[in-house]
Amino acid sequence: MNSERHAQQSRRDFLRTVALSAGVASLPGTVRAADAVEPAQAPAALEATVYFSLGPDEAAFVEALVTVLCPADEYTPSGVDCGLAVFIDRQLAGAFGKGERLYLRGPWRSGRPEDGYQLPLTPEKFFKVGLAAANRACGQKHGQDFSALSAADADAFLQDVADGKFSQAEVALAEWFNELVYPLFTQACFADPLYGGNRDKVFWKMVGYPGLPAVNGVNMVKYRGKPFPGSRAPKSIEDFS
Amino acid sequence: MAAGLIARQLTKQGVQSVVLERGGDYRGGPEARIPTQRDELRWDTRLGLMQDAASETYTVRRSRSETAQPMRRMTAFLPGTGVGGAGNHWSGQVWRWADYNLALRSRYERRYGHGSIPRDIPLQDWGVTYDELEPYHDLFEKLFGVSGQAGNVRGKLIPGGNPFEAPRQNAYPQRPLEITEAGSIFKETVEREFGYKPFPSPAANSPDPYVNPDGMRLGACQYCGHCDRFICEANAKATPDVLLYPWLEQQANFELRRHCQVLAVDYDRTSARARGVRYLNLLTGEECFQPAATVILAAFTLTNTKLLLTSGIGRPYDAATGEGVVGKNFCFQANSGIPLFFKDRWINPFLGAGSTGTIIDEFNDDNFDHSGLGFLGGAYIGVNVTSGRPISARRVPPGTPRWGTAWKKANADWYAHSCSIGAQGSCYPHRENFLDLDPDYTDAFGQPLLRLNFDWRENEQRVSAYCTDQALKIARAMGATIVGPAVSRTSPFDLRLYQGSHVTGGTIMGSDPATSVVSPRLQHWDAENLFVAGASVFAHNAGHNPTGPLAALALRLGDDVARYMAKPGRLA
Repeated sequence: MNSERHAQQSRRDFLRTVALSAGVASLPGTVRAADAVEPAQAPAALEATVYFSLGPDEAAFVEALVTVLCPADEYTPSGVDCGLAVFIDRQLAGAFGKGERLYLRGPWRSGRPEDGYQLPLTPEKFFKVGLAAANRACGQKHGQDFSALSAADADAFLQDVADGKFSQAEVALAEWFNELVYPLFTQACFADPLYGGNRDKVFWKMVGYPGLPAVNGVNMVKYRGKPFPGSRAPKSIEDFS
Repeated sequence: MAAGLIARQLTKQGVQSVVLERGGDYRGGPEARIPTQRDELRWDTRLGLMQDAASETYTVRRSRSETAQPMRRMTAFLPGTGVGGAGNHWSGQVWRWADYNLALRSRYERRYGHGSIPRDIPLQDWGVTYDELEPYHDLFEKLFGVSGQAGNVRGKLIPGGNPFEAPRQNAYPQRPLEITEAGSIFKETVEREFGYKPFPSPAANSPDPYVNPDGMRLGACQYCGHCDRFICEANAKATPDVLLYPWLEQQANFELRRHCQVLAVDYDRTSARARGVRYLNLLTGEECFQPAATVILAAFTLTNTKLLLTSGIGRPYDAATGEGVVGKNFCFQANSGIPLFFKDRWINPFLGAGSTGTIIDEFNDDNFDHSGLGFLGGAYIGVNVTSGRPISARRVPPGTPRWGTAWKKANADWYAHSCSIGAQGSCYPHRENFLDLDPDYTDAFGQPLLRLNFDWRENEQRVSAYCTDQALKIARAMGATIVGPAVSRTSPFDLRLYQGSHVTGGTIMGSDPATSVVSPRLQHWDAENLFVAGASVFAHNAGHNPTGPLAALALRLGDDVARYMAKPGRLA
């Protein structure tokens, strides 16, 4: 009992610590209480992203990946600064990554594409074996890890992965990218910032999604066919909490 | 949905009933409260309200020569769980199907000749007439506060409504929902260019506060865009857990038992009677037996079939011979959509309710002449703007790169300016489309998974191609800057795509025990005190959502079972 409580306690402390650093990192340019107490600490917290699931090499791959998929431009900061790598890490570490709502009983048979996912791997494991296989394919083609490629080479490499150009790889890389990695990327962009991506609601602002307004009965008529003012300042779950 | 409606009728007539529900309540939880209710990732993408595939899913094969594979994620369609079932996460479209649907075989043979229905399409009359169901449609619309524009009141066509609607005694109890911008464009176009008769989708999304005949209340819809796949936090979506169970639980002769996973109907072959049901109490792990004078299966469509098969009641369908009945006539819906992009129009997809659709029925079912077309059936065509949820409801023009700055630009440019025109197509039974038990895979309770033997057959592919083409003609006339690809439903059945949740059949009704599981009174042919309710009794699926006829049949069944309890016997 005691050790159990102790474990819970330390986990809670850990979560609080991580939440704090993620919180600081998620609001660049704004002043928070934590900054006011120890302003010199803030930049360090910004750099030190804590990953739950990804090891350092995996994190380097994912950070490079989201930088290619979401380069810094006139629309958004880079994928890393938008929290996309954090989102992917949290999803892999959490219920989704561990196979929640996924039927994982045998027998196992290789299926056709239209049968959907048929591997005896949790999404987290599939993500990681795919990542390693992609890195090996990258090494064979370019002589270096994916995270070391130039932006143009990395973009072209991902295009090849998506198009199924690495059919020799031991992992079905096109399926890995198109049905696991890419959906995680778009979810990272457009899910509520609560999950670590879409930092500062930047993708909602980009498209004009107003987020969570509770009452649109009047707006439905007032803004039918007109620009919707709420689109300029979207509201997230945190804003309503 | 069906269980609550049946229980209401029974309770009103003094019959004591118990409903066994495998799930729990959603009211008051994070799924029904602001702000957590508005979480697309949790409730929509990750399917937080749906049947948990890890516990129970389905296997699928497209022909009998294949080995079926499990649908490892609930993707192609979405069964619900919890009090109210799929009636909680529905969008709320409530249709009265064209009246001839209940005698569809007769209709086609009369109109196109006796050889007009291919031999491998076992269409059959349902054994019930629309006139018998009309009062129950009316009752359901009042209980659920359905909104809409009547099209046919007692044979008189009403402008602005659906001219193909079966005649109704009364108008809808509530006014139609507000039209969307996309709906307005669609309406103007089809009236001006084609002379079609568009109308607002009938909706169980309450446009105003409403009190139903039981004194149960609905709030006013806030057009929040979180309806289908969500629990309504404003109590404005008519669902069993808002309108039926809170009333039922106040009645002395009713009990709702939550967290009870029904495992089988206990069936006495000698007396041909159901003795009761076996269920697992999920809170204690105990297996229990509930004796009953009468048993009614009103689980999710597919579960009804599974329970009959696992209980060994009725003769399983055999596709090789075409004989047997349990699992027969499994149908889905042949749906398709075409994305549209309007540079100068503000579609604002986030301003919408579950059923803010603008629809035409000119190409549905047998509302048009099929002579020489080479198929039977049709689709409603319309614009349903129900959600701007940005993970799932974003559209980008064809040719847009999948990532990078150009991808972002396309999202920024088109998100608020796009919609899609959709066709919801009928699906007729096929000799090779059926349900049985999988020989290899089991669920968390140790029972076989239900196996779907299903593919899009020639008839449905032709329906979809024809109706998608009609939709494309409309799309091209709507003044869009870009009209996206028009992709109709084709084989192979793809488990990676959500294709709607309107699965039907498997325990079909009819007047011949050789071709149906239940009688026109929904009484099992092999067990007088066993009844089945839900879309599993549909002998085919039309180009409309199934809830209207499902609900009317369930309410009628409640009255029938009360009659049966007073005087047991085979109901005429």
